[in-house]
This record gives sequence, structure tokens and C-alpha cells, in this order.
Amino acid sequence: MARYDYVEKAVKVSRREFLGVLGVGAAVLWTGAYVATDLVQDRTKYIKLRAKALYLDDGKAKVRQSHNNAAVADVYKNFAEKPLSPLAEDLFHTRYVDRSKLGGLS
Amino acid sequence: MKGFQQQELTSIIQIDRSSCKGCDSCKAFCPTSAITGKYGAVHSVDSEKCISCGQCLVNCPFGAPKDMVDPVDKVITKLKDGRVTVVATTAPAVRVAIGEAFGMEPGTLATEKLYGALKQAGFKLLDTNFAADQCIMEEGSELIAKIRHYVLGEAAQHHLGALPQFTSCCPAWVRYAELNYPQILDNLSSAKSPMMMAGALAKTYGAAKVWPTSPENMYVVGIMPCTAKKFEASRPEFASAATYWRKQGQAGNYPDVDTVLTTRDLARLLKKMNIDLAAVPEFTDQDNPLARYSGAGTIFGNTGGVMEAALRTAYFVITGQELAVLEFAPVRGLSGFKAASVTMKDAKTGKEVTLNVAVVHGIKENLTPVIDQVVAGKSPYQFIEVMNCPGGCVNGGGQPINPMGTSWLDKYKAMLPWS
Repeated sequence: MARYDYVEKAVKVSRREFLGVLGVGAAVLWTGAYVATDLVQDRTKYIKLRAKALYLDDGKAKVRQSHNNAAVADVYKNFAEKPLSPLAEDLFHTRYVDRSKLGGLS
Repeated sequence: MKGFQQQELTSIIQIDRSSCKGCDSCKAFCPTSAITGKYGAVHSVDSEKCISCGQCLVNCPFGAPKDMVDPVDKVITKLKDGRVTVVATTAPAVRVAIGEAFGMEPGTLATEKLYGALKQAGFKLLDTNFAADQCIMEEGSELIAKIRHYVLGEAAQHHLGALPQFTSCCPAWVRYAELNYPQILDNLSSAKSPMMMAGALAKTYGAAKVWPTSPENMYVVGIMPCTAKKFEASRPEFASAATYWRKQGQAGNYPDVDTVLTTRDLARLLKKMNIDLAAVPEFTDQDNPLARYSGAGTIFGNTGGVMEAALRTAYFVITGQELAVLEFAPVRGLSGFKAASVTMKDAKTGKEVTLNVAVVHGIKENLTPVIDQVVAGKSPYQFIEVMNCPGGCVNGGGQPINPMGTSWLDKYKAMLPWS
């Protein structure tokens, strides 16, 4: 009399389930990668276009150095005297606060 | 809430609970790890850590982070009030992005259109680029004084901060340093940012000589590519015009910059007032001295721009000659960390001076190694430019989001796996 032992299948995933899980996993990875690269690509594209336009503005300017801006020189001549003058220190310079020491605000 | 002074705006960036999908994209862009919430759960912003740069806002795929400060209606009221002189100060990066909100191609330089639209809305103009030129004069003179003292050994005229000198134009970076690296605050240039200089200048020089009016009746509006500028304008120490006039015997309490509109806010304001930027007549504002700016002032909006502008002037002041080639390639471009050195012959003493400079943009990825050197006292640089946003202000948190679906077909084509 032949003896038949019932052996529980070692892998408890059917072929159908296996393919399903694989498919869903691939889709998740694909979408994630697409969204990530798409975001970064788009971002640098806009950065580059805008940056280029600013360099264009610089390139076509007649005066290209701050010290040659006559209107700025006028402000010093007629008003603020010279850079780092007492009035310039009052109006155009500031101080900073150590925020790690600032307590609670209500 | 900790870490704020009285009257400062505390919660500029907040996440809308109903739009947040918990995808964690914002966390990848937040320079201060201020965003909390598990993957899949609704996120929120810890305002004590937040430097209000708005990078989460411009990079969220669902538009969940919001700019909570909306001054559009208030500015319109001021514009319609005949007694008030409303002065706009427009940042460099606004002119290359505002067009996107009105159907123009990305990367369109729209200075004259912007001037035209602002004029039609009733603004007077003090271009922030003008103030940027002035910022170079102040910040550059400060740097040169430090170099003359620390490197060339000349006696100091008055108190000088430490070297290396950091730029201080970026309000997000300033708050970041104040929160996390208080030991380097003496290295920050004491020069105000161009917007704050513009405010102080408008309410003193502007009110006295350009648009004669009482400074109290002047309303200065910063038009910025930046959400952190809203925070900066609210800092209580920025009331130097009022202090100036009090010394002259005119009482009054008012801030230097009354309010800030982002590029997006300005687009909404113009649309509310039925002004189409793409259609307005161009305007150059030639007779206004405060709308004249140099090429150095306009590149402030790019990473490396402040450095390049400062070098052009520093080179002239030290050597007595203009640079032969103004385009300074090593500080241009999008690489995360840029460094360069320039050797100059001091016209006064005949000694050679080598200026080592570094440029950092994107605090999240690129700042730590540079600042660790400074904290350890081993930094090889004399001047370091820091901008919080990757690419500089052109990519600021106040710029138009997802601009221009130029072609919906291209957009869907791009989703195909083989493209």
C-alpha cells in the first residue's frame, strides 16, 4: 500500500498573488521615482531660466558696477556723506539677536 | 513662542490640514527640519524652528503649505487713499518671474512691464536694485576696512566685526544663524539687506527730496520673491527712519518697511485691480534717480550674485582699476558650493592681497561644512555669501508656483515612461 503524505506547500503565495504584489510594488516605485525626478528637473529648469534673465539684465546694463551708479553717489553726496559714516551706520546698518536666548512670547 | 522679539510675525508658513497628504516632500526641502508629522499623516510646521523661507510651499505637489500673511487688500486700500504716498521697492528676482503669472514665457525679463503695471496701480518706485548697489557700497566698505585691518595690519577706525564676513541680505539665513549659530553673529555683515536699506532711504532721503511728503504718510511696500522678507520687515529694530526724524524733532512711530508682498501677492493685487501686466505700456521711469541701477545690483537675485557685485567694487577700491572682465564665472552656476580666490595689488601700500571667497546656496545641503570651519576658527575664506534657497532668490519661496502649463500635451507626454 502506497503511503501518501500530505505536505503543506512551502511557499504560501500563489502565482497569481505573487504577480499581483510584484506589479503593485513596481507601480509604486515607478510613480515615486517619476514624481521625484519630475519635481527636481522642473525646479532647476525654472531656476536656470530666471537666473539667465538676470544675467541678461546685467549684460545689457550701461553701468555694471555699484560704485559707478551716479544716483547712489548722489545719495552720499547730498545726504549720507560716505559709506560707514555715522548717518549711514544709523540708517543702513543693523544688529543681530541671539535667538537661542530669547524667551517665550505669548 | 520662543525665539521671537516683540511684534515679529511668528507663523508665516502653515500647512493646510485638508490638503496635506503626508507625502513628506516638504521635509526633503525644509532647511531646519521644522516640519513634523509621520509619513501618511497630516504634517505641521514648528514655527519656533521655521525660518519662513517657503521652500516647502513652492515644492509641495499638493499646495498644502500656505503663506498666512496676506496684505493685498490693505495695500489696495492704501493705494486708493490719496493722502498716502505708496512706495514699492521691487527685488531683482521679481522682474524675471512675475511674467509667469501673466502668461509670459518663464525667464522673461519684464522690468519695464513691471514698472508700467506698478505705475498704473499708483505706486512710486524705489528699485531694490538701487538699494542693492548701495548695499555693496556699505557691505563692501565694511569688508575692505576689515581686510585693511586684519590682513594688511592697518589701525581700525571704529569697531569692526570678525572675518570671514558673511553676507546678510538673506533674512532666512540671518534668522537661521541667530537661532542655530549665535557664536558667529559678529561675522555677519552689519549692513542691512537691500530691502531694509530701501525702506530707511525712502522715508528719509525719499520723503525729504524725491517725493516731498511727511514720512508718516509714506507707506513702503517691499515686493519680494520671498516669504522670509515678511518676517524681516516685522523686526522691531527696523524703524531707523522714525529714529532719524525724532532726532530732527518730528515725532512718530512707523516701521521702515510697512508691509511685504511676494511675487505671487503682487500678481493677485494686479489682477484684483484689473491690471494685465502683459498688456500695460512699458515704462522706464527715467527721471526717477531711485529707479536707476547697475548690472551689479540686478544679479543680487542669483546665487553668487552678491559676491560678484562685491568683487567688482572691492577690486576697484583696492587696486584703483576696474576689472577687465566683469563676468566672474567661478561664482556663477548651480553647483552647491563655489569658491574662488582673487589676487589684487593694493594701490595704497603696493602689497599683494589675496581674497578668498566662498558662495553657499541651499542651507540644507551645503552650509554645514563651511560654517563648521568658521566656528572652529579654521576658515580659509574672508568673504562668504549665503542664500537659503537653492539657486538664490530667483527660486525664492514667494515666487510663482508651477508656473505656465505652456502646453498641456507636453505635460502629459512627459508622463509616458519612454520620454
